[in-house]
Order: sequence, then C-alpha cells, then structure tokens
Amino acid sequence: MSNTLPKDFESFSKARAQGFVKMKELKESGKNVVGVFCTYTPREIFLAADLVSVGLCSVSDETIADAEKVLPRNLCPLIKSSYGFAYTEKCPYMYFSDMIVGETTCDGKKKMYELLGELKKVHIMQLPQRQDDEQSKDMWYKEVLLLKERIEREFNVVITEKNIKEAIKLENEVRVSLKEFSELSKLVPPPITGLEQLKILFGSDYKFDVKEKIEEVKNITKKIKTDYDNGERKVNKNLKRILVTGCPIGGATEKVVSAIEESGGVVVVYENCTSMKKLELLVDEKEADPYRAIADRYLKIGCSIMTPNNRRLDLLSSLIEEYKVDGVIEMTLTACITYNVETSTIRKFLESKKVPFMTLETDYSSSDTAMLKTRAAAFIEMLG
Amino acid sequence: MNMSDITESKYFVGIDLGSTMCKAVLFLENNLVDKEIVKTGYNHVASARDVFSTLLKRNNVDEKNIIVSSTGYGRELIDFASKSYTEITCHSLGALHLDSSIQAVIDIGGQDMKAIKIEDGKAQNFIMNDKCAAGTGRFLAMALEKLEIQFEDIDKHVEIESSIKINNTCAVFAESEIISLIAQNKNRYDIMSGVIHSIALKVSQMISKFELSKDKNILLTGGLYASDIIRQIIENTIKYRVITSKYSQFAGSIGAAILTYNNHIKK
Repeated sequence: MSNTLPKDFESFSKARAQGFVKMKELKESGKNVVGVFCTYTPREIFLAADLVSVGLCSVSDETIADAEKVLPRNLCPLIKSSYGFAYTEKCPYMYFSDMIVGETTCDGKKKMYELLGELKKVHIMQLPQRQDDEQSKDMWYKEVLLLKERIEREFNVVITEKNIKEAIKLENEVRVSLKEFSELSKLVPPPITGLEQLKILFGSDYKFDVKEKIEEVKNITKKIKTDYDNGERKVNKNLKRILVTGCPIGGATEKVVSAIEESGGVVVVYENCTSMKKLELLVDEKEADPYRAIADRYLKIGCSIMTPNNRRLDLLSSLIEEYKVDGVIEMTLTACITYNVETSTIRKFLESKKVPFMTLETDYSSSDTAMLKTRAAAFIEMLG
Repeated sequence: MNMSDITESKYFVGIDLGSTMCKAVLFLENNLVDKEIVKTGYNHVASARDVFSTLLKRNNVDEKNIIVSSTGYGRELIDFASKSYTEITCHSLGALHLDSSIQAVIDIGGQDMKAIKIEDGKAQNFIMNDKCAAGTGRFLAMALEKLEIQFEDIDKHVEIESSIKINNTCAVFAESEIISLIAQNKNRYDIMSGVIHSIALKVSQMISKFELSKDKNILLTGGLYASDIIRQIIENTIKYRVITSKYSQFAGSIGAAILTYNNHIKK
C-alpha cells in the first residue's frame, strides 16, 4: 500500500490549514462569514446570501483544558474543544465568523451555545426531535425562514428566489460530487484507503469557492477511477471492508481509522456526518417553495438526536450492501448520550442482520491508541 | 509446500508478552512440548528473547525449524516473530485447545481483564477493561502486599465467604480502605476474601453482557488460575461454572502457536 498521498490529495489535506489564509483574504475583500456546527444547518441560505460558511466542529484536544475552566469535564470532547477554540480565540475560522448558527440538537451543544453567545453572535435554530409528522416539518420550515430573515437583516442583503434556487443547485452538485467520490470505494478492492477518503471529505469543507470545489472533487474522482481502470491497485484485496458509523470523525479521532487500517481492515464508507449522513439526500429542485424543499431535505437527516432514528438503520442497511461491508465499527465520543444510548439499538439491528459489529468509545486524547488498535485488530481477526 | 517441508517437522513458538509476565510455549506440530515464563523486565523484547532461547536450548531445536508468533500487549515489539495476533484471538484458541467444550474465557491479567465469548470454535465477542486496575492482577498484588500474604497461602487460609466488603472499585481508593480495615484489626484473610470478591464482582459485571449457559464451562486464564479459592469465589459470584487448567497461564501463547500451526498446514 502506498504511503504517499497523491499530489491532488495534498490540496485537500492541507485545505484546513491553508483555509486560514484564504479566509483572511476573503474577509479583507469584504466577504462575511457564518460559522456552523451541524449537518442540519441549511448551507444554501448562506450561499444564496453570498456568505462564506465554514464548519466549526473542533477536532483537536488543544483547547479542552481551557474549556474545562467553564464547562464540566464530563462533557463531549467535540463540544468542549469547539467552545475552547472560541474562548481562547485560537481558531481562525471561529475568529473570523461574523455570526454562528447553531441548533438545538443535543443537550450539550444547546447549553454550550448559550455560553458561546457571550463570546460571539449566535443564532439558534430550534430543531424538532421528530422527523415524520407535519407539526415537526412545519416547525422546521418556519425556522428556516427565520434564519433567512436573520441573515438578510444581519448582513443587509436580500435573498431572491433566483439566489436561493441557484444555491440549492450548487449545494446539490457538491453533494453529488462528494458522493460519487465516496462511491469509488464500492470497488473491490477499493482504490483508496479510508484515511485518504477522509482527507478529501473532511478537507472539502474548507474549500470556500463552491464551484472550484465541485471541479476539484470531480477531477480527483476521475483520476482515481482512470488509474484503477488501468490496473492500479493500491489497496490489498484481502483487507476486511469496514463501515464506520457514529459520531463525526476527523482530526484527533482519525486514530480510530488508523487503528482499523493498521490491523488488516480498510474503511470503505462512513455512515456518519463526515460523509453519507450529509451526502445521501438532495434538496428537491422541483419543489415550488425552495425553503420548503430545503427544510424537508434537512429534517430527514438520520442523527441520534432524533427520536426515533430510523433513517440511520435504513442508511446502514443500504450502505452495508452497496459497499460489500464485512463488519461495522462504531465510534462514539465519551459523554455523547444520544449515540451511546443508541448503540444498543444498532447492535440488536446488526445482530439481526448477522453483520459483525463493535463499538469503540473514545475522546480526543491520544492515550488510548494502543487500546483502540487491540480492539480493532481483535474484531478484524474475528471476521476470519 | 515442497518435499522438504513435508518430511521436516516444524516447531512453533508462541510468545505472549504481557505487561507483567512473558510466557512462551514450544509446539512440535500441534503438540505442546515445553513452556517457559519470566517476569517482563524493563527491556520487554529482551524478556521475549530470553524465553525463546531458553526453550530452544532446552529442547535442542534449531532456529531454522521454527515459526514464531507473538501476542500480548507487547506483541508488535517482538521483531523476531513472523506474525502477531491479538490476545483475544490467542486466548480463545489457546483456551479451546485446553478444553474444546468451553463457552467463554475470563482472562485476568497483570494490568487488564477481559472476557471472551466463544462460539463455533472461535471468539465471537469480547469485552476488555484495560483502562484501570480494578479487577486485575495489579489489584490483587497490591492487596497481597498490604496484608503481607503470599499468593500460595490464599488457598490455605482464605475462606470463600467473607464478612468484609470492599466498597471502592478503584485500586487506589481500595488500598486506603484495606489499610483502614487493617487498623480496625480485621482478620487479614477475611480482608483478602473481600478483595477477591471485589475482583469477582468486576468479572460478573463484565460478562453480564454475554448470553451464557449454565451447562457449559468458562475457562479462567491468567496468573490467578493457580488459586482454587479464587476460582470458587468467581464461580459463586458470576453463577456460571468456572474451570482452570494447569496451562491456564499459557493460554495466550498456546493460542499463538496453534494459530500459526493452523495457518502453516493450510499452505
């Protein structure tokens, strides 16, 4: 297996770091920035208002100690760390965000946003906890409209129907391009490793020119496919094909992917919000009311903060089949109540489908890498 | 496989490099020939080399005829092993080699403890506690030291029932609790029984996630196997049949050797 990333990957793996400078330049050129935390946040609204939006979910434990001056220790590391970056002003994206949009997703985030509101301008959308009834759909539709109004007011812009429809089209194209990229790993063996796939998926969020991003992702997909068709095989066909599910993966939690891929496995697909959870659904471009289309699409996302979370089971089923998955490994973050409680449902569901399953609970520290490796290796050895 | 491989018998060495003890076994084909155990020293790899060369010298075996595999916490440090496997896989296969009818393995190591559910001749599920000393050999060692009891004396003086309950699961806090019990002039063997009950309780919590049968045996591996009182207290606490083998401490290294043998004959 090649240890060097192809050149094209470099622009993605460095995107987050290089994005700092890019963002500064964008701000200096007069652009405004909205920071977001969640896959439920409708990015189309920001794009339509010609704003740059960037994900603020932190993936490093660097600021956790500082966050713990204010937040309790027994809290999700993503929440602590993200808050910590605002508190210490260490994250340029947080720093440059003119406004932050959060949702009432999990309790931890909900309460953290109150404290974040003391440091930055925060707009909170009230996300329903159910997905299928008219009441919840209407509630979310109203929240999307409220967001639109707030953005227009805050940034002194008018979002026309043309703006929003074009934004919908573009964001759908982004989803399609990233999904097609991910689908390369349906091949047996996959053309790239899970870590390489993650670099593109994760890095793509830090590419702020949407049209350029779509082009780059399409080009890299084409190149990988061409090389594969020409016989290039960088991944050993004997590696066990693993689906990763659970909490978002990136940065500090890449250790889980490394543990899998250093122990005889290759991650072929991520069900979590780093990938499929946010890529599988498109906004209906034919729906007359674009805001209705946006609200309906986003509300469908299958996250453990919803009750029940049936969509996750459906998505897992189809991904396991499409990607010819040998085993499912879940990563939950310490103190993530919703995912940790949902583990039991996922276990029962996968047992009924006779799909091997293991859950790994971890945080942002690097002290448990050996333990993760032993468990991942044992799981893969059990796949026989 | 060429002709010379068929006629020449192969030796297999499985090395289980644990954090506390380094165990190794020598197999001739799939028969256990010899075993060796040393304390894992500061230089882990040296301990592994130590047991390896002892086995070779004692049995007059040429290094050329051996395939070495490793397991345990230090499995990847052993550069002279051709393959390494996790202790979960090795303990399962090793335990099955010792008793093919078992339904699970409970391994209480020096610094960790694990339970492995066995089904269809292999590991099907496992639970590990490697985050703290509760329920591990370290916990027991601390108690033995504080109470000034030798491990070998447990079976002579410690009773299965104890009037003392150790309330703290954390080894550090439990140590304070033991000291205060000593100060209250409680009987040392009674305290020891309480400590063993505490370990058994942790085992019970660990295996509560498995679906087990009352009609099958669970094999206890790891250094604590040598005490029948410990075995009985665990059995009474978890309410499933617990057995040991005189090779219990070598289950991991046996599994590594067997696994390598099985892979070798497949070729």
